[in-house]
Amino acid sequence: MEKNKHFITGVFSDHSVLLSAVKKIREKNIKIHEVFTPYPVHHLEDALGYKRSWMPKAAFLFGITGTTCAILMQVLMLGVDWPMIIGGKPFISIPDFVPVSFEMTVLFAAFGMVGTFFFVRDLKPYKVPRVFDRRSTDDKHIVAIDLVANNEKTQDELTSILQESGAEEVNTRNFTDSDNEASFVKYVVDLFSNGVTSSSRSLS
Amino acid sequence: MQIVSQVREPLVTGGKTYKDITEDICKPVEAKPNKSWLVAVTASIITLAAGGYFMGDMLWNGIGKWGLNKTVQWAWDITNFVWWVGIGHAGTLISAVLLLFRQKWRTSINRAAEAMTIFAVICAALWPVVHMGRPWLGAYWALPLPNTFGSLWVNFNSPLLWDVFAISTYFSVSLVFWFIGLIPDFATIRDRAKTKVSRLVYGMLSFGFDGSAKTWMHYESVSLILAGLSTPLVLSVHTIVSFDFATSVIPGWHTTIFPPYFVAGAIFSGFAMVLTLMLITRYVYNLQHYITLEHIELMNIIITVTGSIVGIAYITEFFIAWYSGVPYEQYAFINRMTGPYWWAYWSMMTCNVISPQLFYIKKIRTNIMMTFILSVIVNIGMWFERFVIIVTSLHRDYLPSSWVYFSPTIHDIMCYVFSFGLFFTLFFMFAKFFPVINMAEVKAVLKDSDSKVYKGRVTIPNNVVPDEDKVLT
Amino acid sequence: MEIVAQNIDEKFSFSPKLKKQVFIIGIVGIILSIIGILVMNFGGHHGHEAGHVAEHAMAEHHGSADWVKRLFANLWINNLFFTGLSIIGVFFFAVQYVANAGWSVILLRVISSFGRFLPIAGVLMLVVFFFASHDLFHWTHDYLYDEAHPEYDPIIAGKAPFLNTPFYLTRMIAFFTVWSIFAFVLRKNALSEDANGGTKYYRRLVRISVGFLIFFGVSSSISAWDWIMSIDTHWFSTMFGWYVFASWFVSGLAGITLLVVLLKDWGYLKPVTENHLHDLGKFVFAFSIFWTYIWFSQFLLIYYANIPEETVYFWERLKSDYYSKFIFVNLFLNFFFPFLGLMTRDAKRKITFLKIVCVVVLIGHWLDFYLMVTPGTLKELGGLGFLEIGLPMVYLSAFAYVVLSGLSKVALIPKNHPMLEESLYHHT
Repeated sequence: MEKNKHFITGVFSDHSVLLSAVKKIREKNIKIHEVFTPYPVHHLEDALGYKRSWMPKAAFLFGITGTTCAILMQVLMLGVDWPMIIGGKPFISIPDFVPVSFEMTVLFAAFGMVGTFFFVRDLKPYKVPRVFDRRSTDDKHIVAIDLVANNEKTQDELTSILQESGAEEVNTRNFTDSDNEASFVKYVVDLFSNGVTSSSRSLS
Repeated sequence: MQIVSQVREPLVTGGKTYKDITEDICKPVEAKPNKSWLVAVTASIITLAAGGYFMGDMLWNGIGKWGLNKTVQWAWDITNFVWWVGIGHAGTLISAVLLLFRQKWRTSINRAAEAMTIFAVICAALWPVVHMGRPWLGAYWALPLPNTFGSLWVNFNSPLLWDVFAISTYFSVSLVFWFIGLIPDFATIRDRAKTKVSRLVYGMLSFGFDGSAKTWMHYESVSLILAGLSTPLVLSVHTIVSFDFATSVIPGWHTTIFPPYFVAGAIFSGFAMVLTLMLITRYVYNLQHYITLEHIELMNIIITVTGSIVGIAYITEFFIAWYSGVPYEQYAFINRMTGPYWWAYWSMMTCNVISPQLFYIKKIRTNIMMTFILSVIVNIGMWFERFVIIVTSLHRDYLPSSWVYFSPTIHDIMCYVFSFGLFFTLFFMFAKFFPVINMAEVKAVLKDSDSKVYKGRVTIPNNVVPDEDKVLT
Repeated sequence: MEIVAQNIDEKFSFSPKLKKQVFIIGIVGIILSIIGILVMNFGGHHGHEAGHVAEHAMAEHHGSADWVKRLFANLWINNLFFTGLSIIGVFFFAVQYVANAGWSVILLRVISSFGRFLPIAGVLMLVVFFFASHDLFHWTHDYLYDEAHPEYDPIIAGKAPFLNTPFYLTRMIAFFTVWSIFAFVLRKNALSEDANGGTKYYRRLVRISVGFLIFFGVSSSISAWDWIMSIDTHWFSTMFGWYVFASWFVSGLAGITLLVVLLKDWGYLKPVTENHLHDLGKFVFAFSIFWTYIWFSQFLLIYYANIPEETVYFWERLKSDYYSKFIFVNLFLNFFFPFLGLMTRDAKRKITFLKIVCVVVLIGHWLDFYLMVTPGTLKELGGLGFLEIGLPMVYLSAFAYVVLSGLSKVALIPKNHPMLEESLYHHT
């Protein structure tokens, strides 16, 4: 459990500097744990070498599931289970089924995709985020480098690389075991007994 | 890096920094409610309660309390429904369609517009529910469950059922879209929180969002796909609302242009309502540097475009009614114009077609007072449009012996007032507890559109661009 | 992204080789058309028997021979289709200015070049109407308005204030004249912008574009009623103007995309990257869906209400032995194909995909116009033979000649547009 506990963080305030810094750091064969930004920075995912998001595919699959369910539902209810003549139209009158099929396609695609996103990124109301630097949701970009994963370089070397590439500050950030596996209940208890500044995952 | 041309106006003025954005938007959320907010909320709640008394009375005694009669069986209820749904189109339009068209100015208005959308859809959904007579049963009558749990199913051939699917899909997808947009901002408030309760509540609302690059990557993809889904969705909703009328054979209701024309009208009224609310919010929260004259002007242009589309649709309907040679169609339209409801027709024409044409004049579309007045006028006009379509087409039906003149009762009026109370109460709650501007998105466009980078609009009259602003040749 | 100098001094040369190819298309088209006409006269054409029946039924006032009528109908279809392509060039150009669009600047010359065909389309329209009005438009017969005549038609007579030849011709001439003038003025100002720089011409172009869009908003609907809806004289649909516009718009977008892709293939438009193609692809994709939405809404409302004076239009098309299949082909080519073909990001960024989809969309929308015009004019005598293949080729060759020679007269990329940089470094 040594991994993912000891980090060094570089603070940037300009996203252009950040982008070139990320490229420089990765060229030196240093693995970046993650970058935290207050707003989406274009091409950051390319600079970090992430694969394109596969959310569109998820949306498409959920969408066709929705279409299929809608058509099956309407055909089975009005065409098979209890056929009725309505407005002189056939029992299974396809044009009339289009609106509901469309709506259900959108409903399934939207909810399926957002659900997938929440699941994949582990977003949930009772999650306690591991915050590297509180300013990353305000005005600073934070580059976090795992010291253990980059153990071929010393902390000083990493610090100077970050500084060379334009970081305004370089800090260290250590998490304990209980920080890494924070329990929401414990977090709430801590929050209310010790106040905002000290909780199971301090946010300073 | 995105290159931005120098003829574009800045989206954020006043030399704001990233930090300033956080401060300016979070301040109203964190501060104690101010006096004007308290007055506004109290007024809304009083309106809600006053309307609520009549709404309750109507629910207790039945919809006989409304002025409906055997010829005009749909009047203010469905008018209000369509009007509110229409207003509920602008938010999704701004956040989805303008996102797809890369209109970056949407960033500072999309949050409030989406909130308004959701509240407007709630106010709209109220009408089909209360008109059911026993709304506590209506919840499952409208669902695809076998009737009385026997073997008869809901009628998928009915546009009213399509509406159930359309409105509920639209409401839930808009809510999700809005919430997705709020998550990063909730995280910002969480990380700044000074009190235990707000750290916990905003922390839970933020779903533990941490702004990591990987999350942002998926997040952006999700937003884009949601926009792609919402665009046809927003079109489909008002299309299906128009089907409620257009699938019938009533002259004045059955006309094929209804779907796109209703959609244009919805965007038209929705933008007007966004302007009405944003101009107030901008003033109360001092957001002049985020919602600039440029934003107001662009929204006015959209109002003019959609108003003109609606105008062309009116003329088309009128012309084709004559061209068709069908006497019933012809009568329905002559009756609209010159019959007992002539005043409603001409109010609609003046408010919807003529008044937005004033925005061709640059002085008017960049004048805040005029914009505010015209945005209210447009919404009055759009209410009359629905009233004209619905009541004037019904009040003289095929049997001249049943021709009547519809007059609203106090219950009609106060139930409508109730929906206003609901809308404004919800909106003011939103304006207090949620960030009214999407901080993350505004920050994302700040660098390319900072007023320090190029000149603010007030300094550039048409045609005169300073030499240093000219593009390299 | 790095700022690198890009060479934007490009000039398209309409090489003799390319000219020859354009001429060959035209000549093959003429030959095919002649074969088609000969086949109709001497060959075993389908539905001969039905044809005779119909001929007898309408012998009195449908004087022209079958092949003449079919030729006229085809000329009219192609007039409509190619008018649409060129007017959308002007429309899309104007929209770019009004919407302050930056991404499309390097494509503006290509877009506006489509408008050069407008005057020719107008002349063709007039000439064909002059010869073919009685064969194409039932309402042009005088006896319909004569109460004493046995064929007197009170419904059509009621439309006389609108549907009469002088007013009709006035409208046609007025629309083409004003459209052509706008196309010319917009092009001219864009060239002045190039020559003089500054933002004066840019702002003037925005204002002229607004004027054009207002005029086009009204005239596009009226022209659709005039040129197409009045063929089925009794029939009416308020949506029709916007339906025709949707079809025009999508075909225009596909045409523009195709020309951009071809120019890239020929080695021009170097600064156009796959990001620009992506956006063009998105437009074709989105407006294919828009067309489907309009088509479906019109269909559903008429189908649902089931009022005889409205359903007649779809009855002619869906209950006919010959036309009934086309409506599904139409939906397949114009909705399913572009929808599935351009759904993924990669497809919109690949030249091959775009070429295939755009060609299919263009054929599909030609078929859409075929379906609007033919059942009303030729009844059950319609066919899809050599003539229907040859004549569009003749038009295509003329259109391509006008557009490409126009394009060769100006610089391919505007160099003084204030948003040029945005377009050069455009990244989706």
